[in-house]
Amino acid sequence: MDHRVKKDKKVEHFDMEIMIGYILLVGVLISAALLTIGLIWHWARWGNLRFEHSIVGMNFFEFILSTLRQVSSHATRPRFILNMGIGILMLTPFVRVLASVFYFALKERNWKYTLFTGFVFCVLTYSLFLR
Amino acid sequence: MSFHLLFLISIVAGFVGAMSGMGGGIILIPALTFFGMDIKHAIAVSIVSVIATSSGSASAYVRDRITNLKVGMFLEMFTILGALAGAAITLISGRKFLFILFGIVLLSSWITLFRQRHESWRQAVHQDSFSHWLELEGKYYDQSVGKIIEYRGSRAYLGGPLMLSAGLVAGLLGIGAGALKVLIHDLVMGLPPKVSTTTSNLIIGVTALAGTSVYLAAGMIDPGLAAPIILGVVLGATLGTRLLVRLTNQMVRRFFLLVLLILGIEMILRGIWGT
Repeated sequence: MDHRVKKDKKVEHFDMEIMIGYILLVGVLISAALLTIGLIWHWARWGNLRFEHSIVGMNFFEFILSTLRQVSSHATRPRFILNMGIGILMLTPFVRVLASVFYFALKERNWKYTLFTGFVFCVLTYSLFLR
Repeated sequence: MSFHLLFLISIVAGFVGAMSGMGGGIILIPALTFFGMDIKHAIAVSIVSVIATSSGSASAYVRDRITNLKVGMFLEMFTILGALAGAAITLISGRKFLFILFGIVLLSSWITLFRQRHESWRQAVHQDSFSHWLELEGKYYDQSVGKIIEYRGSRAYLGGPLMLSAGLVAGLLGIGAGALKVLIHDLVMGLPPKVSTTTSNLIIGVTALAGTSVYLAAGMIDPGLAAPIILGVVLGATLGTRLLVRLTNQMVRRFFLLVLLILGIEMILRGIWGT
């Protein structure tokens, strides 16, 4: 019983609002930092901020993989950082949904909302595999 | 288009977007196309930036405990399906159609909001059993009046399916479609204005992600172009979010109305006369 009370107190400090708030905040901050670094790096190297490169139709996971493959090439490093920035931005709401599924399932044991967020997660996963 | 211009437009768009709960896209797309960007590319790049605006400001609202997470997560199920369909339609549709639709969406939100401009929010008297089953009640501390406001979300059976159309518009036009979401929250589900704006912010992020993945797969997202836009929008949104928490409901609404009117008329005219 004692143990339970302690656990409940801990729940007060870490709740869903805090969890979601920080996932979103950290995701956006990392993404913004990467985009800034990418742009500055590019500017330092070429003295301009014009670089347009389209990605020829690929799904999110192919995009991430092709980005990671660029690591070895020095010439494309600013571009690699930018792509990672975009990738992390896209992962932010995705991770938020995934975390919500776990929160509803494990902490709140709310089956209704576990099901709802689980559905959202499945549709998003499907959409990230589109091409 | 120069880097500085892109960056500046994006800051303004992010600021206005966060203030009104609309997301940056609704200002961004008219501005980008005005300076010569193709509307489909503007839509694609805008929807990526919408993820950033939404997530950035939602993170603050969620921690302030104004957002109703359950309302958001229930409605998300509908908006993401709409967004996927909407983005797919944009890829195959004509540009004139997109301009005119953009204008119509802006104006129709304007008309509906204008009609009830003077009414402040009233508590829903009756909560239906479905909304009760969904646990859509909540409360939040309102800084501008200095007290805790309790509310009960209702008519979720109507709000859910209507959100499908909000998602469709979001995916189609690359906007958060916050105006439509706020409208559904306000008028159908009886949420207080601040709760509806902030909850719509939360939903917008996930909806925009669904749309983004379609545009990414179509090869329409250019990271070099998206980067300054995302950064500008996040910066603007950060400023806008700070302001929203302090302003009263009426001020948010009045500002919202003016912006919608101007942009709506502009887009329709450009759709008709061509650009």
